Amino acid sequence: MASVTGTSACMTSLSCSFKQTQGRISSVNSVSLSINGKSFPSLRMRSAPRFRVSCAAKPETVDKVCQIVKKQLALPADTTVTGESKFAALGADSLDTVEIVMGLEEEFGISVEEESAQTISTVQDAADLIEKLIETKSA
Amino acid sequence: MVLVLGAGCCFVKGYVVEHLLHFRLLAKLSQGRMFSFVSKRLSLMMMTKVCCFQRNFSSALPPLVPVKLPSKMETHFWYVLPDEVKSESLLSQYSELLSPREKKNLYHMQGDQFKKSALLARVLVRTTIARYQTNCQVNPRSLKFKKTIYGKPEVDWENGDKWCPPPLHFNISHTSSLVACGVTVNVPIGIDVEEKQRRLKNKILAFAKRYFSPDEVKLLTAISDPEIQRQEFIKLWTLKEAYVKAVGRGFSAAPFNTFTIRARVVKMGGFHHFDTQHSEASEIVVESSDDPENLTRNWQFALLDLAGSHYAAICIEKENSAGGVTQNSNVINMWNCMVEVFCDFFAGEAGVPMRLTVWKTIPFVEDERVSGTGAVVPISGLIKQL
Repeated sequence: MASVTGTSACMTSLSCSFKQTQGRISSVNSVSLSINGKSFPSLRMRSAPRFRVSCAAKPETVDKVCQIVKKQLALPADTTVTGESKFAALGADSLDTVEIVMGLEEEFGISVEEESAQTISTVQDAADLIEKLIETKSA
Repeated sequence: MVLVLGAGCCFVKGYVVEHLLHFRLLAKLSQGRMFSFVSKRLSLMMMTKVCCFQRNFSSALPPLVPVKLPSKMETHFWYVLPDEVKSESLLSQYSELLSPREKKNLYHMQGDQFKKSALLARVLVRTTIARYQTNCQVNPRSLKFKKTIYGKPEVDWENGDKWCPPPLHFNISHTSSLVACGVTVNVPIGIDVEEKQRRLKNKILAFAKRYFSPDEVKLLTAISDPEIQRQEFIKLWTLKEAYVKAVGRGFSAAPFNTFTIRARVVKMGGFHHFDTQHSEASEIVVESSDDPENLTRNWQFALLDLAGSHYAAICIEKENSAGGVTQNSNVINMWNCMVEVFCDFFAGEAGVPMRLTVWKTIPFVEDERVSGTGAVVPISGLIKQL
């Protein structure tokens, strides 16, 4: 898979839309592109305006989630944890997952219902849910 | 004769290892461990296995020792200790049993210990289910799995071989140091294992207040010794997990704070934490704040100290409770109701114990029945070890 880490500001919106087009469950579920390491710049440019509305979470949120996950699972410092990382693949069992959710609730001042918690499988999912809950809370 | 067959099917690579495995298996058998059970089958195996051998075990693993299905009232519990599985070539042969999707999942896992226990979990479930196919050998590699609409894993028999599939239920759980699989017939099962030394990153009571029921929080709060409190927490967690997994409708269908699990000392009434002096006579019950009473009365629990290192919780549905709907007549329904009322009236009368057999295994290498030994110590729940 192409890795777009979104570390530089100008890449943010592109990485944001690119991640959406990797076929995650979202409101735009009709598009699922498996890029497999190839990049299609023209395709991304075409899709970017369409997906900007339902953008993925801010990189800072994703980073915070990565930190909490690393701490909870006591992962070695050199472990790569990104938005794409699946909790199950990182070695989180059910107790870890619930502890992570609790840690996220405390960190972000939100409350996560069990139904929503069940749908989280990657770090990105968690970050997206957090931002949605923060938005709903402040609305 | 096993050796002759084994030698015939061994390939050059790994020849010595495979041969040693055969020797070891035969040695174990002749020592009497499982000999009486298996000896009758061995001759049959010799005949039927000749044709199946090449087909099933292309990597020259010895045949699995078959086991009879648990009866309707029995639970089988199998576990593997990853630290006992040291052979790299055996682990590599284990990997060959996995489906492409399982291999891919494994590839993406991080951490060697975790990866190993994840591999052993798939191997354990595949080989365990394969053992029960006593009419014809099943290649554990050929088993297919699917998920219910709620996400609970089950065997997909459609693509399997030609016989009538057994009404087999299973559930797995694993930590990095123990991998377990529970099996029943006709009734759903859920299991959970947890290291006894497991520590929470969060504070126990804060966690319990967030996720457990008010009665459970009260019980934990009442424990002043922090170490005992931590142990009780872990025991409670495994029981709650086992229940949710047995119900099989996901975490959200039975949120942890909507049901209470506790130990009830039989014949005395009252509620205690799990480590009571009368642990053999304590029954574990679940009460729901949502559902009507008769739903939660259907579940039977066992809590064990396993291998000295883990708590293991098992939850199965009681046989009759599959419902009044399947009963034959109103008279039987009425009788069942009367029996239940009668039992409730004499609150604390002992229910039927869970008949449990436990094996420690290294698939294809060694099976050891450990129920009734020091490896399996009942903590709570009505259990009869076989």
